Amino acid sequence: MNHRVFLFDLDATVTKEEILPALSEQVGLTREISELTERTMRGELPFKSSFLARVEMLRPIPVSKVAEIVSKVPLHEGIVQFIREHVEDCYIVTGNLDIWIAKLMKKIGLPMSHCLCSTASAQDDRLIRVNSVVDKGRIVEQFVRPVVAVGDGSNDAEMVRLAEIGIGFGGVRPVAYALMSNASHVIYDEDRLCRFLRTLYEEEQEEKQDEE
Amino acid sequence: MKNNVSIVISCAGMGTRLGLGCTKALVEIEGKTLIERQLEILKDYDDIRIVVGYQAEKVMEVVNSVRRDILYVFNHDYRNTGTGASFWLGAQHAREYAVALDGDLLVRPDDLIRAVEYDGCCVGGTTPSTDNPWTMPTETINGVECVTGFSKEKGDYEWTGLAKLKTAELRPGKRHVFHLIEPMLPLPMIFLHTKEIDTIDDYERAVRWVRNNYED
Repeated sequence: MNHRVFLFDLDATVTKEEILPALSEQVGLTREISELTERTMRGELPFKSSFLARVEMLRPIPVSKVAEIVSKVPLHEGIVQFIREHVEDCYIVTGNLDIWIAKLMKKIGLPMSHCLCSTASAQDDRLIRVNSVVDKGRIVEQFVRPVVAVGDGSNDAEMVRLAEIGIGFGGVRPVAYALMSNASHVIYDEDRLCRFLRTLYEEEQEEKQDEE
Repeated sequence: MKNNVSIVISCAGMGTRLGLGCTKALVEIEGKTLIERQLEILKDYDDIRIVVGYQAEKVMEVVNSVRRDILYVFNHDYRNTGTGASFWLGAQHAREYAVALDGDLLVRPDDLIRAVEYDGCCVGGTTPSTDNPWTMPTETINGVECVTGFSKEKGDYEWTGLAKLKTAELRPGKRHVFHLIEPMLPLPMIFLHTKEIDTIDDYERAVRWVRNNYED
């Protein structure tokens, strides 16, 4: 029996706050960026164009400063603990940029090879261009192992729909309607989520033993 | 208290018969919904799964206001499937035993605990009271009264929708929960005091019953 892999959205799933709005104070565009974020999570704006627009607004901030702020966003420690215990089987799947979240990944303890994200180039501590924006649904399709996916926003709906077990996590804010319509499970409590993830993890271990 | 049990409460159906415009689990008796009453009785159990479909957000909102650590399981096909499909979905990745419970069942609190704590599998029966009920013929096996089938013709007890079953023995089904139970029979019968709420008269009887401390 195949081992399951666990895919986690980053913003408001692993983190306790949305990351881009946390950065927006730096450029004095809090209201604009929060509004774009909320509308995107509700599914009113396509993720790709909204994300690029928000990146454009944040571009004046030095990359190292963004990375520093991002690395200090509060985390769901229970989920982080699960990821640390099972690094080999866990991936973070996020629209956020590699150069902005590398420091946070280090803090979580996940190598960048387990972070499937959008990418950008920087020069002299400045973001010069975005190279790719992640498509979370495509990522699930690329896995050959059964997928457990956890997310909360509209841009996680495809990832959750295509997963073997697609979980909506409402720990920070209500689970987006598009995601709920595609989820097999919804959980609001972090401890309950972690218990369910452990059950799913242990189940596969038992099945493996049966085969031997 | 047993910790090898997962409790699966089915709240996915539309429950249109009562004409209240909401899923039956959200019907209020003495200021508390049926689902809240069940969760209050089950407060010491830590693996509660609620299967949702019709008005899922409304059910989750009511439940979240009293208890957060719930695993919600979605039956997206609730229009075409019955409680059997919901229970099957809810019992996936469950502990050794799974308890099937309909979200609209009004049951005497100590009876519900007795069923969950029952040593092994059991099937809940009650005195027949509804129109055209599914009843259960029984037979005494090794001194224990056991359910041997589900029938429209014979049997002294009405099927309640409540059963405690071995998760590993469950097979998928789309219709009623008892279709999942049939291949496992015979199983011990456990008598429960319940009230079914299908009509306004039933509703008023149920209110009186709760007020009278679950005595007729």
